[in-house]
Amino acid sequence: MDYLRSFRNYLALLAVLLVASCSSGYQLAKSNRAEYAINKDVAVDSSVVKTYLPYKKQLDAEMNQVLGYSDVLMVKSNDLPETILGNFFSDAALQQALKIDPTIDFAMPSTKGGIRVDVPKGDIKLSNIFELMPFENELIAFTLKGTDVQQLLNFIAATSGQPVAGLRMKIVDRKPVDVFINGKAFDPNKTYRVLTSDYIAGGGDNALGFKDPIEKKVLDLKVRQALINYVKENQAAGKTINPKLDGRITKD
Amino acid sequence: MEELQKINRRDFIKTGGIAAAATALSLSSLNGFAAGDVLKLTILHTNDVHSRIEPFPMDGSKNQGLGGTARRSALIKQIRAKESNVLLLDAGDIFQGTPYFNKFGGELEIKLMSAMGYDAATMGNHDFDNGLAGFNKQLPHANFPILCSNYDFSNTLLKGATKPYQIFKKAGLKIGVFGIGIELKGLVEGKNYGDTVFIDPIAKANEMADLLKQDLKCDLVICLSHLGYKYASNKVSDQVLAKNNKNIDLIIGGHTHTFMDQPEDVQNLSGRITTINQVGFAGINLGRIDYYFERYKGKRIKTASPYIISNELDS
Repeated sequence: MDYLRSFRNYLALLAVLLVASCSSGYQLAKSNRAEYAINKDVAVDSSVVKTYLPYKKQLDAEMNQVLGYSDVLMVKSNDLPETILGNFFSDAALQQALKIDPTIDFAMPSTKGGIRVDVPKGDIKLSNIFELMPFENELIAFTLKGTDVQQLLNFIAATSGQPVAGLRMKIVDRKPVDVFINGKAFDPNKTYRVLTSDYIAGGGDNALGFKDPIEKKVLDLKVRQALINYVKENQAAGKTINPKLDGRITKD
Repeated sequence: MEELQKINRRDFIKTGGIAAAATALSLSSLNGFAAGDVLKLTILHTNDVHSRIEPFPMDGSKNQGLGGTARRSALIKQIRAKESNVLLLDAGDIFQGTPYFNKFGGELEIKLMSAMGYDAATMGNHDFDNGLAGFNKQLPHANFPILCSNYDFSNTLLKGATKPYQIFKKAGLKIGVFGIGIELKGLVEGKNYGDTVFIDPIAKANEMADLLKQDLKCDLVICLSHLGYKYASNKVSDQVLAKNNKNIDLIIGGHTHTFMDQPEDVQNLSGRITTINQVGFAGINLGRIDYYFERYKGKRIKTASPYIISNELDS
């Protein structure tokens, strides 16, 4: 079985004291473990393909639609404080939300964990956006007290950075410093207009700051739809998607 | 009292492999196998398949070309053709991740699992993504039980739709399998889990495992867990559960999408081994654990008996 990914020359011998009262007729003597990689070397069960083909045809007709073009492969990361994929995601959400509500100061439309897959270089299909953002979450604009924004900033710093737009900060000792919102230094005595999703606002991924808002405005725009619109509009304007790192979040 | 001995790669080569090591310990299992006193059980497992019906598209992204239900099914059929006692299990997050879920609500995922002959699955947090009604709607397509022991669905429409555990009988062996889920608050939107009550996973897992091993006399106890492999914080995880139980032999984990280099063997509260395994996500890999059981010669065995663990299948 040449597709067995890795035979590991590892052997652990474990002497185990059996429980004397065990009345079972069998005792565990040995266990062997392996892992199979499911790749092109594995044969295909045509009956499964036959089962999913009608679904696939229906799906492909819609999902293979090309929305735009990316100049770069955008890679998902749960570790880096800033990624081009995170910047693309949050810039797109903020830009689209600003068309509905121009008073928004900054955005955290998703957590890193909510950004699900890479976006390939080349054609961006509708399926890519569905896999990037499979959830049905909606964009919401909040008015938050500075102290609540501080909680959100603390969350972003404590989790080593999140996808943001309109916000710059450094993370030092897991704390936010040199925070700039919409180009101005953060002032905890001011109120801010913050864009996020209903998932995050509801405490999803344990994000903080949205429990006690001054105001809440549902934009009637799904996060996914904002991404779709952004890519389509760039394409219509003859522009490709080419996000850059700009140091909006750095970590010591 | 108990000894935990690990032979590293160098020693392994020095002693000449499993056969030599087994001989050195006078293990009788290989002889027993010939005499019909040894039973072999093959566990196959997946986790966090996330609606990955087809392989990842060939578009230059990291996982391009990997996974796919058609290949998984062929591989499972191949293994079943060779092995008579197979259990096929999934540790949750069947749903969400490709447009198949957005468009068809998980119907195809469950249909294909039924076709592949899954024996049981537990629920992950994303299996709540279309709400309790969304999950319930797909259950008619499942010909396998959904095992959840620490979600109390009594006050929800899922009441009676899941089971805490199931016992499988294979050639005289009794295998107890139960499911443990992750805390939903902060992870799943409230409207999607409704009045589901979350029960402490460590306490419930121990209750289940003790029941299965001691009262119901199972030869092997398997926990399908969606707690996650491990965390930097002291948040409950498969590692925490492995250290704090008495009667779980194997935790098939999920949630953290962890590609483990090899299963982890943890000494549990009774001094025995709880093994943890998890195979990444999206059906990129299929996990396999073969267990060999030896028939008792007498009613009570007082001496310590070796339990050999190898990360290689017998040819």
